[in-house]
Amino acid sequence: MRSLASNSVIVAAIALGALWARDATAQELPVPYEPSAVPRNQSVYDAKTLVSMACSKCHGFNGVSISPLFPILAAQQASYIEMELQLFRERGRSDPHARAFMWGIAQGLTDYQITALAQYFSSQPRVTARASKNPALAEKGKLIYENGVPERDILGCIGCHGPNAEGIHTFPRLAGQHRDYLAIQLQQFTGERRESEIMHRFTQNITEDEIAAVTEYLASK
Amino acid sequence: MTYGRSGRLGALAAFLLGGSALLLVSTPAQAVPPFARQTGLACEACHTVPPELTAFGRRFKLNAYTLTTRPPLVQDIDDHKKNTVWLTDLPGIGILFQATYNHYDRAPPDSAVPGAKAQSDVLEFPQQWSIIAAGAISDHVGGFLQMTYLQPAGTFGVDNTEIRYSDHTENNDWVWGVLVNNNPGNQDVWNSVGAYPIPDFSNQSLWSAPVIAGASLRTPMYTGFGGLVAGPSAYAWYKDSAYLGLSAYTAAKSGSVTTTLDSSNLSVGGGTVQGWAPYWRAAYEYDFGYNALMIGTNGMYTKFTPSVIAGQTLDPGFINRYLDVSVDWQYQYNGQHHIFAFLGRYTHETQENDPGLVPTYFSNSTDHLSEWNVTAEYYYNRHYGGMINFVRTTGTSDIAVNGGDGSPAHQYEVFELDYLPWFNFRFMLQYNVYQVVANNQNPFFLLKASNPKASNNNTWVLGLWMDF
Repeated sequence: MRSLASNSVIVAAIALGALWARDATAQELPVPYEPSAVPRNQSVYDAKTLVSMACSKCHGFNGVSISPLFPILAAQQASYIEMELQLFRERGRSDPHARAFMWGIAQGLTDYQITALAQYFSSQPRVTARASKNPALAEKGKLIYENGVPERDILGCIGCHGPNAEGIHTFPRLAGQHRDYLAIQLQQFTGERRESEIMHRFTQNITEDEIAAVTEYLASK
Repeated sequence: MTYGRSGRLGALAAFLLGGSALLLVSTPAQAVPPFARQTGLACEACHTVPPELTAFGRRFKLNAYTLTTRPPLVQDIDDHKKNTVWLTDLPGIGILFQATYNHYDRAPPDSAVPGAKAQSDVLEFPQQWSIIAAGAISDHVGGFLQMTYLQPAGTFGVDNTEIRYSDHTENNDWVWGVLVNNNPGNQDVWNSVGAYPIPDFSNQSLWSAPVIAGASLRTPMYTGFGGLVAGPSAYAWYKDSAYLGLSAYTAAKSGSVTTTLDSSNLSVGGGTVQGWAPYWRAAYEYDFGYNALMIGTNGMYTKFTPSVIAGQTLDPGFINRYLDVSVDWQYQYNGQHHIFAFLGRYTHETQENDPGLVPTYFSNSTDHLSEWNVTAEYYYNRHYGGMINFVRTTGTSDIAVNGGDGSPAHQYEVFELDYLPWFNFRFMLQYNVYQVVANNQNPFFLLKASNPKASNNNTWVLGLWMDF
């Protein structure tokens, strides 16, 4: 097993790389998602129409879903949404809900639509997080989020997901997300049903209690 | 021949003929593989367990089944970049297959040979076999067309049929649409009223629950029109919450012009809808977390010319008037592993009988009927589940209609266990338990003319359902 120190170096390097990548893309103009801006050679469906036709049925028109089965996408990192949509389209992400819902939904999307959808949802105002009903649990979760559980090789989430859990580049925003959605994803990672080498490595020893704590913290952040 | 005897035989004849015809459209369509092929979505996107719709499934239907993710094989657009044609490479065809093995606690009487008994076990393979053509026709129009072979009737004919247009505001606050269908309630997106109730897997044998509950004047009138009427509807859906739909239905000839299959044999006594019958539906849904809660109402006002003896429509000058009003609710919990639903309806029916038919064919100038229909169900991981359904009907005593003591009452429960090794393949074990069956609705009156035991009708059903 790798030492915590070497793991930390890897994660720090990834995070730095992500920062650099974001800076590199920050100069590019966002892809427009209004109907009038769709290039002539693209599908007739602009991103807003796609949101209205399909995405909004689960994720809400403004990216705020009601059921915790579906993630909140408002203010999510655009690069993360883009990466996930590409993975769905290529069937490179294969947790049960990805198969049941997103493999079908994403199968016909063009690169342009994917980028425009990512821009659309990332530009929606973030949802105000609910207050924690269990502050003690949330406080415990905060400690795990920031420091991990070193004795069991669980790294703090903060290194990649940021001090405010706002995410960066392809690391998703976690703050304000549905608690159950976060818990389900962590269970998918630990069970290796959802692909991610980083998450597999650093969540393999996490307990259900720790999942409950860290998701309580994030959902209320 | 005394009147009472002819009334009983008339009811029995209608039982055999009209009841069979009615069953042609009385079984729900369930999940629809063409929709899955069109969208690429698994069954669970639209259904908790078929035919029950999830919140997503409700939105899919209200948007006219138009969501399509397959790339088009054929596509054209006009100068405004609007689709003029969009065809995928797959026709939207699916197969639905149901089989049942029925076991009656007591062998029912033979309907042809007085005093003899029929068999107590029936294997219906298939019990129902449908071809479904469904899906998007354009980006605003979708259709659902079902043809069904039904074992009790031994016929193949038109089943639930609907063509729907819908549109919506860009932010989806308003969704509206128009449609034409042949079954009041087929357009509904909840499962507490309309054409897709649960338990959907009803005992389909001749003497069984749907005949008693679904094909007689003792049930709410508006549930018995499937395939025998047709009409347009318009609806609006606001912020995924408030729904209002208005429809009007008129008599339709479907499948055959013979008297046993057309609208002159609507139910016990038969009959024909006169003019246009308004049907309405209002509902409010509130979604929170994994939960969806709905309260609603629907109803229908029908002018109806009865034919008291099956196949013989009375002079159209005789008109009975039915007003059915239901209040219904549905609570749905659709979690990652657990699914729970509690739903039901209360219906009150007022039947004003034409003075020219009272007291010869109807004892009272006005009859009332009330029905409770309540179901609770639970599924684990969509693989294992079960439900309990309770139905109780009471009403005014009408000896001319009901025979015996005139009571239209019936009461029964359905206990069901389900196992779904795959989501489109289901085994079902059901026990139907009867406490009250109205006299001439009870086939055992052929053996015992007064107050035959309701529990004689208790039935075990082993079912297989699959679609692909």
